[in-house]
Amino acid sequence: MSGETALDQSGLGVPAERAPTDWRGDAMRRRIARRYASERRFRLLGMAAVLASAGFLAFLLISMMGNGLRGFTRTEVAVPIDFPRSVAMIDPAVLQTNPEQALANANLPAVLEQATTQAFGVSDTQLLSPNAVLALRDAIIRDPAILDQKVTVNLPASTGIDVAMKSEGNGTDEALASRLDDTGVISTAFNLGFLTGSDGTDPTMVGIWGALKGSLITMVITLALSFPIGVFAALYLEEYAPRNRWTDLIEVSINNLAAVPSIIFGLLGLAIFLNVMHLPRSAPLVGGMTLALMTMPVIVIAGRNAIKAVPPSIRDAALGIGASPVQVVFHHVLPLALPGILTGTIIGMARALGETAPLLMIGMRAFVSQPPGGFTDPATVLPVQIFLWSDEVGRGFIEKTSAAIIVLLAFLLTMNSIAIYLRNKFEKKW
Amino acid sequence: MVMPDMQSSAPKMSARGVNVFYGDKQAIDNVSIDVDLDHVTAFIGPSGCGKSTFLRTLNRMNDTVASARVEGEITLDGEDIYSSGMDVVQLRARVGMVFQKPNPFPKSIYENIAYGPRIHGLAGNKADLDQVVEKSLRRAGLWEEVKDRLNESGTALSGGQQQRLCIARAIAVDPEVILMDEPCSALDPIATAKIEELILELRGNYAIVIVTHNMQQAARVSQRTAFFHLGKLVEQGPTTEIFTNPREERTKDYITGRYG
Amino acid sequence: MTGVMIVLIIGALGVIGWIIARARATRLQAEVGRLATNSRPTQHGWYVALWTMLPAFAFLAVWANVMPSLIADTVLATPAAQTLPVDDFSRNAILAEAQSIASGSQAAAFNPQATELVEPYRAATLRYSTMGAILAAILAFACGAYALSRVRPSFTARYRVEKVVMWALLGASLIAIITTAGIVASLVFESMRFFSMVNPLNFLFGLNWSPQSAAMGYGNEDAFGAVPLFWGTIFIGAIIAMIVAIPLGLMSAIYLTQYARPNTRKWMKPILEVLAGVPTVVYGYFAALTVAPALRNFAASIGISNASSESALAAGLVMGIMIIPFVSSMADDSIAAVPQSMRDGSLAMGATTSETIRKVLIPAALPGVVGGVLLAVSRAIGETMIVVMAAGLAANLTLNPFASVTTVTTQMVQLLTGDQEFDSAKTLAAFALGLVLFIVTLLLNIVALRVVKKYREAYE
Repeated sequence: MSGETALDQSGLGVPAERAPTDWRGDAMRRRIARRYASERRFRLLGMAAVLASAGFLAFLLISMMGNGLRGFTRTEVAVPIDFPRSVAMIDPAVLQTNPEQALANANLPAVLEQATTQAFGVSDTQLLSPNAVLALRDAIIRDPAILDQKVTVNLPASTGIDVAMKSEGNGTDEALASRLDDTGVISTAFNLGFLTGSDGTDPTMVGIWGALKGSLITMVITLALSFPIGVFAALYLEEYAPRNRWTDLIEVSINNLAAVPSIIFGLLGLAIFLNVMHLPRSAPLVGGMTLALMTMPVIVIAGRNAIKAVPPSIRDAALGIGASPVQVVFHHVLPLALPGILTGTIIGMARALGETAPLLMIGMRAFVSQPPGGFTDPATVLPVQIFLWSDEVGRGFIEKTSAAIIVLLAFLLTMNSIAIYLRNKFEKKW
Repeated sequence: MVMPDMQSSAPKMSARGVNVFYGDKQAIDNVSIDVDLDHVTAFIGPSGCGKSTFLRTLNRMNDTVASARVEGEITLDGEDIYSSGMDVVQLRARVGMVFQKPNPFPKSIYENIAYGPRIHGLAGNKADLDQVVEKSLRRAGLWEEVKDRLNESGTALSGGQQQRLCIARAIAVDPEVILMDEPCSALDPIATAKIEELILELRGNYAIVIVTHNMQQAARVSQRTAFFHLGKLVEQGPTTEIFTNPREERTKDYITGRYG
Repeated sequence: MTGVMIVLIIGALGVIGWIIARARATRLQAEVGRLATNSRPTQHGWYVALWTMLPAFAFLAVWANVMPSLIADTVLATPAAQTLPVDDFSRNAILAEAQSIASGSQAAAFNPQATELVEPYRAATLRYSTMGAILAAILAFACGAYALSRVRPSFTARYRVEKVVMWALLGASLIAIITTAGIVASLVFESMRFFSMVNPLNFLFGLNWSPQSAAMGYGNEDAFGAVPLFWGTIFIGAIIAMIVAIPLGLMSAIYLTQYARPNTRKWMKPILEVLAGVPTVVYGYFAALTVAPALRNFAASIGISNASSESALAAGLVMGIMIIPFVSSMADDSIAAVPQSMRDGSLAMGATTSETIRKVLIPAALPGVVGGVLLAVSRAIGETMIVVMAAGLAANLTLNPFASVTTVTTQMVQLLTGDQEFDSAKTLAAFALGLVLFIVTLLLNIVALRVVKKYREAYE
């Protein structure tokens, strides 16, 4: 018993009488109480850390939601328009055959100016969004009969009024908005244009479809390149690679690429794809290629783990009845590893979808007012659009930026949920 | 070295002076043995004696181990299986293998059996394939138990059934030799008895080689026995002789349970 | 148009070759019996299809690269081109204009000479692309026929097809090496050009960073001192962010692994992982819109008057939050790797859980935790969007967390957006910064992985 040796104070090698520990004594009780208190403190500290982390997440999401949900709605003003007495010049014949052209020449802005001045005593540019002309045009196309009547049309309000209604605008807009609100002409409607439009100069006109489509096209390229390359590389390294320096070099490269900051991939894209290969700037093609290089190591690493998890007995079984090594892999190993590979792929794609910095390097920050039509058209992507809007000074852009973030987060959350679902569903203990 | 007894007909498989190395380590030292069509041959010996290693050289499963190297000559119907003209894939179809742990593919029972005939092109159409599956399962004595659930996963069967499924899977590609690497070591006694029964039934159609650490099993199912020790083939001969009247001291010690 | 057509034609030839070869092999196999044939009919099919398509596609790839210069030569040989200016620059400009008109991407010519060249250009393009298409088709046909002639019972089609598959797999894994080489090559090459204009020592040890003034012609030597950038990066990524992330991440991991009930753990772990999945641009926006103004107001209220709205603290704080799940999962792994017996030993002699954690688990897991922290630092200093949006551009050497500092990645974005001139030190400086960032993160990762690996081995 070492305790006894410790108590040996005689120095003669003769164990002293062991003094029994007084477990019930006051000193010991206090000591134990102190230890339990510190135990509770430590535990509380841990809980606080978890709650703080979760709290940050909640705060982030709530503040995005708080700002962003308003971005999906727009303020509308009910404007009374007396068409028969207005300055509209519409050729009824052309209206029948080609309404768009007829209305394009109809001087609708002047009609609005006249209507708002008469009804509310303010100019239409202060009251209404530049989109109001289009909304009015669509209303006329839908029901040309209103041209003969005095009607009230709900038109999108200007950014100033919109902001004043939703939060706090500047003085004149705030005053105008509250005056109009009291007369009951102001209403709120779902802003469909935000989901179908592209970038614009006025916050009431912008939409995310252009950026979203750019993101989707870019992701198609990324997936088409990184998935086959990643899976093939994983198969090679796990199933066939001989143990030699080349294999080591490949492994080291892949592990390093997985840790290289994303902005470095942007420099690579800029130096190689743009300056050496002369591919077009701002194009989803180049963005997709750059992101593919970034995503590939993620897929390789996930793929290797999934392939490793396939028990060797399956390979033996297939080899034993005369399957060739290629058949063993493509008939047995790959199908069994596929759920794991897909999980890794989705996680890699989610990361690529939220990536911004490398795309800034290859010029995907252009002002793109039309959704891209193909792989080489100038385009922007959702996260870059968020970055661009966050730089805008106009107050109306805050809610648009947050709304775009909500859309991006919705995509990412869906992808991650699918990955977690796949992982749980196919997780197998062999 | 013990020379194999001469047979009246040519042996199905024959090994002459086989050495196996893993890197620098020699696992098999100068083994010569014949495997005949109408016999069950048992390889016995203490664990680590190289009997499984030697078994795996007979259908070149050792090729999958990068550091493994085989010297000597192993022939199937007189043809060297390590020659460049021998296609390893066809060799493994002709020399089937059943492993220690049942290892059905995580696919349906039907697909487990049908996989081999499919990759080797043994069945022209679906009806042929159905027939092959049924025939193989019948031969493996599993048909009655699984005929109504061919679409269920092979991994859902019991251990003994899984092992018979693996035997059926080996039979399905119509092999000439079946190698069994301790096929019953993971099974309970009842399942073991069924497999042994099956081995006796299959005898005569196939040359069967079984590795076992269970001497009673060797005595029950085999007609010829070879005793391995420390990578060497110590003694081989008719099973009854080996068990009743071994020539070598080491064989006797092992069989009487002095070590193992 | 012809491009798509010829790809489709070759693809169709491949399919036809596949079908014919398969049929022929099936017939041959029926004649001689299965055992005498080496490969399955399908494998013969693939063999022929690969022979049909691969050489033809390879030819097309080469052709697409040589075609532009062939076309240009032909166009230059036409009478209309004889009047072109002799110097390469203006001649190429006119040619390029003619080409874009010919391909339809430009409506009318700016230079009248280009208009005359449009027709020759169109004709030459048509001629060479037709020629390429025909040659490719012939090649596909010839190679396919050759492959078809080799279909015999004894022919080892399977080996050959599988060899192609193996080469494809090897090729895919070589992409990783090529990418790494590409990164190193482009960074080193452009950095060399930068260092030919700016002394590397001035870059690495200079205290003044003002690339704008260099661009305006005040000379390069003193404008590219990157020390303020390095300090800003370390201040935000390695100090402030870690002060947030290490305690929170470590304590979260400890609580979730040692104290939390399985159910709590099951729910909280994915929630923490969500923090890692939020895109950095969102964090950046959050930092700039919410955190930074709040911090500035806070600083003003405690009497710090020069607080910047783009403070190091805002960026570092939010970056720390982003890193929490990273630290916590590394700590989680390290703690899980400590053998249960150690924990049992401590608990069995009456230590409380927290004593066991503090005195036994954490010291034992420390190397793993340190490795994880190094990886986290490497991630934090390479992070771009948060600092671009929240950290500001002023290259200050300051210890004041409420002041504005700038970082390596911020400046890289700043230098490379807007006008890029690849002969000015201002643009090339971004690559030199990238090279430094690449080397530092690489070293951090190597050291971290070494530490983690050593530690894992100790318990295996």
